[in-house]
Amino acid sequence: MIHLINVTKKFQRETVALDGVSLHIEPGEFVSIVGQSGSGKTTIVRLLISELKPDSGRIIVGGWDITKIKRRHVPILRRQIGVVFQDFKLLPKKTVFENVAFALQVAGTPRSRIKNIVPQVLKIVDLEDKTDRYPQNLSGGEKQRVAIARALIHRPKVLLADEPTGNLDAINTKDIIDLLLKINEFGTTVVLVTHNKEIVNAIKRRVVTMEKGKIIQDQKVGKYFI
Amino acid sequence: MFLLTFGRSILFAFQSFWRNIWLSLATVFIICLALLSINFLIIINAISDSAIVAVQNRVDISVYFKPAVREAKVEEVKNQWEGLPQVKNIIYKSPEENLNDFKARHQNDASIQETLKELEGNPLGATLVIQAKNLQSYPEILKAVDNPAYADLIEEKSYDDHQLIINRLNAITGSVKKGALIISLIFAIISILIVFNTVRIAIFTHQNEISIMKLVGANNWLIRAPFIWESIIAGVIACVVILAVIYPLLSIIQPYLAKFLQGVDFNLVSYFNHNIIWIFGGQLIGIIVINFFSSMLAIGKYLKV
Repeated sequence: MIHLINVTKKFQRETVALDGVSLHIEPGEFVSIVGQSGSGKTTIVRLLISELKPDSGRIIVGGWDITKIKRRHVPILRRQIGVVFQDFKLLPKKTVFENVAFALQVAGTPRSRIKNIVPQVLKIVDLEDKTDRYPQNLSGGEKQRVAIARALIHRPKVLLADEPTGNLDAINTKDIIDLLLKINEFGTTVVLVTHNKEIVNAIKRRVVTMEKGKIIQDQKVGKYFI
Repeated sequence: MFLLTFGRSILFAFQSFWRNIWLSLATVFIICLALLSINFLIIINAISDSAIVAVQNRVDISVYFKPAVREAKVEEVKNQWEGLPQVKNIIYKSPEENLNDFKARHQNDASIQETLKELEGNPLGATLVIQAKNLQSYPEILKAVDNPAYADLIEEKSYDDHQLIINRLNAITGSVKKGALIISLIFAIISILIVFNTVRIAIFTHQNEISIMKLVGANNWLIRAPFIWESIIAGVIACVVILAVIYPLLSIIQPYLAKFLQGVDFNLVSYFNHNIIWIFGGQLIGIIVINFFSSMLAIGKYLKV
C-alpha cells in the first residue's frame, strides 16, 4: 500500500529530517510510527500527502509513484488519502455537516450524494445529532471525530493520523483510538503517528520507531521502548 | 462538473460573506470610502469643467462696422468668416439694435441722451459678435479679422483687450486641467492601494482555512473562486451603497453650489443623471477588476501548501 524507498529529506540543506528511510506498509495494516519530537515521523506524513517532496528516494502510495507528482495532481492524491491532524484543521465558519461535505464538494460530488453519504459517516463517528454545530461549539474529542469523518468520507484506502490525540484528554484519546481501530477493521490501512506511550503499548500492533530521521526498530507487535 | 463547481464557488462566497459579516462590512466600508473620494473628485472635475466652459462662452470678439456699410455687405463678411473652421458662431447685430442697447446702457446719463436726440439718424453701424470653438482658436480668427481687405469697413475692433484675457484664460484652464488630471491619478492610485490592501487583509485572515482546503484536496480554482466572488460581492454592495448615498449628498450640495457659481448653468444632480452609466458603471467595473486581481494575488501566496 505504502512504499518509502531510501527516502531522504533535508530542511535548509543542513537539518536532516529523514535519512535514507525505507518503509513498506501492507494493505489493511495498522502501523504506529513513534519517536521523539524531531525524529522525522511527521515528515513522513507530509511526504505522503505531497506537502513536501523528497530530496532523494521514491514514494509509492497505492501503486502511484508520487515522488515527482505534478502540482495539479496533488488534490487528486489528497482525495484518496484520509488525513487527521493534531489541531483538527476544521474550517471554523462551516458546520460539522459542511466540514465533512466540503471534502466531497471539492471532488465535484453531486448534492444528492452528499446528502446521502455525510449523515452515514457522521453516524459512524457518533456525531449525527451535532451536524449543525460549528467547530467552536464542539469539544476536542468531537472536533477530532469530525476530522476523522471528513478523512473517511472518500472511503480512502489509507488513513494517516498525525498525533490525533495530542490535544485530547484520556477519555477522548481512548475513544479516538477505538474509532481508528474500528476503521482499520473495515479494511482501511491506518498509519498512526504518535509519541503517546500508553496508546502504542495498549493497541499491540506494528510499531515503527524513529530517531534522528532513521528507522531504528520495526516490530510486528511492538511496544514503545524509547 | 464545471457548472457544479462554479455554482458552489458562488454559494461558498455568499456563505463566507454572511458568516464573516463584520469583516465583510469593514471591507465594504473601506471600499465605500475609496469610491466616495473618487465621486468627490468627479464632482470637482465636473464643476471646474463647467466653470471653464462658462468663462469660455463669455469670451467673444465684437467687430463694429462703419455706419455707412450696408447690411448686405456685413452679411457677406459674416458668411466669409463663418466659413472659418475655428468659428463656432457669429451673431449679427443691426445698427438699430446697437442704438437701442446703447440707449439702454446709458439711460441714466442725461448728457448722452440729449446728444443722441440732437443727432440726425443712427450714428452706429452693425456689429458682428464672433465666438470661437475654443479659446485656442481666437488668435487665428483675429488674424482673419485683421485682413486689410476689411480695413475700410471696420470702425472698431474689441479684440485688442481680449488678446491678453484669452492668453491668461488659456494658461489658467490648461493649469486647472493638468492639476485635475494629476489629482485624479493620485486619488485613483491611493484608492487602488486601499482596496488592494483591504482585500489582502481579508484574505490574510483566511490563510488557515486556505491551507485546510488544500489539505482536504481542493484544487486552486475552487479555493480562489469563492474569495474572488466574495470580494466582487463586497465591491458591488459598496457601489450600491455609494449610489444610494451620493444622490442625497448631491441634493444637499446643489443649493450651495448654485450660490457659489452664480450665472453658471450647472446642476450636479442632472450631471450625475446624465452620466450615471459612465460614472457608476465605470466605478463598478473598476472595483470588480481591482478586487479580482487583488484576490488573485493575495490568495496565490497561501496556495503553496
